[in-house]
Amino acid sequence: MSHAQPLCLMLAPGQVARDARDLRWSALMAAAQEGDGAAYATLLAECLPLLRAICRARLRDATEAEDAVQDTLLTLHRVRHTYDPARPFRPWVAALAERRALDRARRRGRQVARETLLDDAAELGAEGEAEERLAARQLREAVGGLPASQRTALQLTKIEQLSLQEASARSGMSIGALKVATHRALHSLRRRLTGGAP
Amino acid sequence: MIARLACGLRPVRRMPSPLVLLALWTLLAAAVIGLAALIFGTRAGLDRPMTGFERMHSLAALLTALLAGLAAFELSLPDRDRRWAWLPLPAIGLWLGTMGVGCVGELVRVGLDGIRFHVSWPCLQFIIGMGLPMAGLMLWLTRHAAWIRPGPVAAFSALSAAAFASIGLTLVHPTFGPLMVLAWHGVAVLAVTGLAALFGPRLAWRVPA
Repeated sequence: MSHAQPLCLMLAPGQVARDARDLRWSALMAAAQEGDGAAYATLLAECLPLLRAICRARLRDATEAEDAVQDTLLTLHRVRHTYDPARPFRPWVAALAERRALDRARRRGRQVARETLLDDAAELGAEGEAEERLAARQLREAVGGLPASQRTALQLTKIEQLSLQEASARSGMSIGALKVATHRALHSLRRRLTGGAP
Repeated sequence: MIARLACGLRPVRRMPSPLVLLALWTLLAAAVIGLAALIFGTRAGLDRPMTGFERMHSLAALLTALLAGLAAFELSLPDRDRRWAWLPLPAIGLWLGTMGVGCVGELVRVGLDGIRFHVSWPCLQFIIGMGLPMAGLMLWLTRHAAWIRPGPVAAFSALSAAAFASIGLTLVHPTFGPLMVLAWHGVAVLAVTGLAALFGPRLAWRVPA
């Protein structure tokens, strides 16, 4: 006995909705490829929650996730000619978001790994309450009292949060010298700001 | 950002399917090989029928060139399965295998004493000299992959280019003789593939999609 049914009746309600949405997105993207700006804006706006969900699932930090969403939109724009309207749109755009979120996560991971002095920074953070009690002038003075190389290293690696490579290129100091200078600067600041020996 | 991207949106030409791109790439590669054969002249004895080994080696190189090319075009698209990367592996294995068999055959024939290490510069220069521009052409064809899977696409693109260059070499330079030529053949292909995998992504980022 045959129970032939229309495909949509055999699918879960959510699945039907997704398929209808996917068809709509495919059509909007095809129109965008033809140069229809309004269709493109509609498509991107409708996709945004999906992109956010993917990026937030990959990145705990909300700001990083939002940056990854922006990266995804830019990537989508750059490679929009690679979409084939005969294929589903959702996997295509989801793959882009996964890719950009993964890139951000890796970059973040590398940054953390590179900054071997993070423990020191965390300690400094833990002592943040003590720092907050100090006047900003005192902090400025303490930083100002550091040798120039330590001040530069601290500025580039901790305040501007550049990677060691970038900081090295900017300052002309070697990576090893930057690490040592940052470590000494943090050590020196900690001693001064917590009332230790000058 | 959405408003900025949508404002003044220009129409784009949809990219052809990977199979169409592969056909285009094969035609371009054939044209480059034909040009090289015209410039350098074909090697002596090209009209002689190929031995079984030579046929197997050439077929493996051709399969590697085609399948690595197809894998590169598929992987350059965001929604394609990453398992496309497995497609050229059997052909690569067969190709490297025939090179190995060639080396062993040579060893057996002339013995260890007969082997003298030398660098086959003409072979190396030809594969790198032709392989790199062809790899550049392939990187241009797959430039959109810079935002998707730059590393694997650049490596497969270069492998396909190097395999085509190697086929070109068999038309111009006698390759099936000395062991060292075969060995350098492999080294040159690996060099082109490795260079592209390393530097391809960086170059590709500078190319507008």
